[in-house]
This record gives sequence, structure tokens and C-alpha cells, in this order.
Amino acid sequence: MTTYQPVTAELAADSPDALFDLFEARGLGDGLPMVPPTAERVEAMLTAASGDPDEVLTTLLPRAGIVTRRVVAINAVLAGCTPATFPVVLTAIRALAAPEMNLRGVNATTHLVAPLVLVHGEIARSAGFHAGVGAFGPGNRANATVGRAVRLVLLHVAGARPGSGDAATHGQPAKYTFCAAENLEASPWEGYAASRGVDAPSAVTVHCGEGPHNVHDMEKDGDPQLILDKIASAMTSLGMNNAPISQGEFFVILGPEHAYSLASGGFSRDDVSLYLYDRARMPAAVFRRHFEELAWTQWMKTAPDDHRLPMTGEPGNIRVLVAGGPGKHTLLVPSWGMTRSVTLPVAG
Amino acid sequence: MTVTIYLPDSEPGPEIVHLAPSPPSLAGLRIAVLDNGKPNAALVMTRAAETLARQTGARVSLVTKKGPQGRSANAAIPCAPDIFERVLAQADVVITGSADCGSCTAYSVYDTIELEKAGRPCVVVTTTQFAPIASTMAANFGLPEARTLVLDHPIGGTARETLEGWADAASDRLVELFTAAP
Repeated sequence: MTTYQPVTAELAADSPDALFDLFEARGLGDGLPMVPPTAERVEAMLTAASGDPDEVLTTLLPRAGIVTRRVVAINAVLAGCTPATFPVVLTAIRALAAPEMNLRGVNATTHLVAPLVLVHGEIARSAGFHAGVGAFGPGNRANATVGRAVRLVLLHVAGARPGSGDAATHGQPAKYTFCAAENLEASPWEGYAASRGVDAPSAVTVHCGEGPHNVHDMEKDGDPQLILDKIASAMTSLGMNNAPISQGEFFVILGPEHAYSLASGGFSRDDVSLYLYDRARMPAAVFRRHFEELAWTQWMKTAPDDHRLPMTGEPGNIRVLVAGGPGKHTLLVPSWGMTRSVTLPVAG
Repeated sequence: MTVTIYLPDSEPGPEIVHLAPSPPSLAGLRIAVLDNGKPNAALVMTRAAETLARQTGARVSLVTKKGPQGRSANAAIPCAPDIFERVLAQADVVITGSADCGSCTAYSVYDTIELEKAGRPCVVVTTTQFAPIASTMAANFGLPEARTLVLDHPIGGTARETLEGWADAASDRLVELFTAAP
């Protein structure tokens, strides 16, 4: 087993101000106040993990920074995580290291891509994650700090510093933190992780994409077609990387009321994906006029100009789950494109 | 009172890579252009290769996109294995790029280092705006001294005549990059 022991430094005082001084000189941190990662705090975080804290688990690209449980715990302390949430941070980092995530590209691109961390199952409840009203907004420690811890690991270990390892033209607020729980209690369908073949009490999904786009439909009958046509309309944009890259996924995060309307109308999760695949389309000629290079699946490349082509290569790329609280809204999270989401069972 | 804390930026663990041996001159050598499909990348790199060939007695043996069978290119992933093998078989030195966005810089630098590892001196073409990213990526991937040609910015959206001027003016620098390194 290969191990790695992180380096220590002396801090003038156990305070966020002292940490700012030290970290600014070293180009560390995300610009917000952080909790000093003393040995005691890091040890407390590690009580929620199993296995050797100094075992090298993986490296994160592009910097090829070394990942151990202790390295992740240091960043979780900085972010303000509770130990109960730590296995979610570790699992999200494992997901980001998966080859299909293409982290080298995700971190380096000029696109504003940020990792969306979705928490499924038992640990969402036991560790205090929020799935209801305002789930993607402020006010919940688990959601806020776990998303932030993931970003701090990308900054510090993967080297995703703006201007050197992260070329994002604008960046975006979701690069600070982007985490919420699936609202399984309000979902008419089986849990998302189970639908992806992950049979575990708790799981984490990471999807690297844009910030959420809102879709509003509050028509009185809750007509599934009106709701879905609006989502399809939001999906049909030439400005998204999904347009020229057919492997790109869309995450459709239905508000519970929209999900209820769809299920009441007889739609299964797969029906929702299939309907959107069928409706979110543009003529092949329009795509071809706008993109010199199209990273398309072969059948799309051979389609005649007047054929209406989908915004993604197959219905299964449209991932559907439920989160949020009361209200007639749904979120759409398009993809960076050259990346695939990963769902893993929670492991410390 | 001071306290001891852990630093959060674990050491990078890249492999150490060395440049391929540089030829003493380019005379008689075969130049490949490996195109990542970025707008105007093929135009500026092919012109640079042709001018370089004329001035040095080399020849341009291959111009290809980096996707499977050379039919397409995606700048945000590595060069397709069949094209990588074709470049090795048909060229002695390589010009690749363009590294003028984020993910395309990461992967153009990755491709250039893979080619150096395979014994082919390779120049990656970047721009003034993305040279710092290219430099960071080269260091990340274990070869900070990667051969890098820095052109003005941007390559995409600049007129053909201007790009041809940049390409022609790059010849001496290309000779230096290909031949002067250890």
C-alpha cells in the first residue's frame, strides 16, 4: 500500500483571519473564510471514514495531486463539514477520479462547468442533507459545505486554480458549492441511484455541467405535455455544449409538483426521458451551420439536413430525478459535454 | 499562540517525462500536422509546416485531424489511438494544436507529451492568452520544458492572411524548438 503524509505549517492563531494570511501567500483557498485544519479537527473528520487515512486512493487531474482520506479530510475541515457528511465528500472525489468524468478537461476548460453533487438514500437523512424547499440554495450546512469541500479539493489537489489549471472564461457561482439531496419521499418513482443500477443504502452522483436553468409551468391542469414541452424548449439551445456533443447528458431535476403531475399522467421516469428526447430537437442543417466540428454519434452525422435531430444522442442521456419543495418549477442542468456522470455507493 | 495545521494541497505526483532527442537539422525529415479541430488550427499549422519544410529541406508528410480515422476531431479528449500510430509511422517530427482554450490546451499538451515519450519531437501551438495554461499543464504532466510555439491571440476568428503571416514568421522559432532542445 502506498501512503502519503501531508505537509504541516505553523499558523499565527487558530482563526480564519490568520488562515487567510497564510493561504493568500500560498495561493490557496476559495476566497471565503475557512476553518483551520488542525490535527484534532482532521482526526475528528477521519472518524467517519474507514481504512488507512494515509493510503493513496487516487490522483486528481490535471495536477495529478495525491488523494488520501486525510487530504480530503483537511479540505472538508476547511469547508466546515461535519464528520457525518465526510463519506459523501470522499465518494464524490472517487466519482470525479473516474476516467469517464474526464477531469483533466473538466478542470481546464474555458466552459463554466462545475460538479453537481447529488446525495441519495439513507445518508441524506442521517447526515442532515436537504432535499426540500430551496435545496440548491443557502441555509443548510451539509449541502453548503460538502459542495464547497469538493471544490476545495479541486482547487488544492487537482490544481484547478483560475488562470492556471482552470481556464473558465467567467466561472460561475456553482463553482463555490453545488450539492443537494434527492427528494425521494416526494418522488413518484424509485430512487435515482437504484435506477442507475446502484443498489446501496446511500449513494452519490456527480454530474459536471452548467448551473441550473429554471423551467416554470404553473398551468392549472398540470398537463404533462405542457410541462415537458417547456423543459424541451429549455433544452433546445445552440449555446449549450450538448448541441455539438451527442454523448452529453441533461439532468432534469423535477420539482415534486411537476413530478406528481407527470406520474399522474402515466409517465414513468423513462417515459419522461423519451418524450424529451423526442421533443428537444432542431433541424440537422441548423446544427451544421453553427458547428464546424460535431462530436456526434454516427447515425446523427449521416442524417439529411431537414431531419430534426435530438439535443443528445440517446434518451438515456436525459437523467431524471426529484428534488426541491412546493412550487411549479423544474431545474435543467446541461452538461459540459465530454464527460459522463458517475453514481457510486457511499464508501468511507 | 501558534497552532500547527495541515496544508491542503497534497504534492503532485506526475511521472517525470523527458523530451525526445532533437535532430541536428530538419533536412530530409517528415513533418506531421496533428489537428484538434479548433477553428483555423489546421490552416495556421499546415502553413507553418509548409513554410518550415521549404526553408529546411523537410517535407510535410501528414496532415490529419486527431479523431478516429482522422475524420473528425474533438479537442477535449486525447488523440485517437489509430491516428497516434499513423503519426508515429509517417512522421519524424510533429506540430499539434491549437492550444487556445482550456480543455484543448490540456489535451494538446497531453498529446505533445505522449508524442515526445514515443520519440517524436513535437511542438504544441498555443497563443499569448493561453500560454500560461499551457505552461501549467506541461508542468502538471511532467514535462515543463515541452516545446511550445506561442502565437498571437486568437487563432479562431483571425483572418487567413494574418494567420499565414504568423505561420511564416514562426519558422525560425520552430527550427529552434525542434533542434535546439537536448
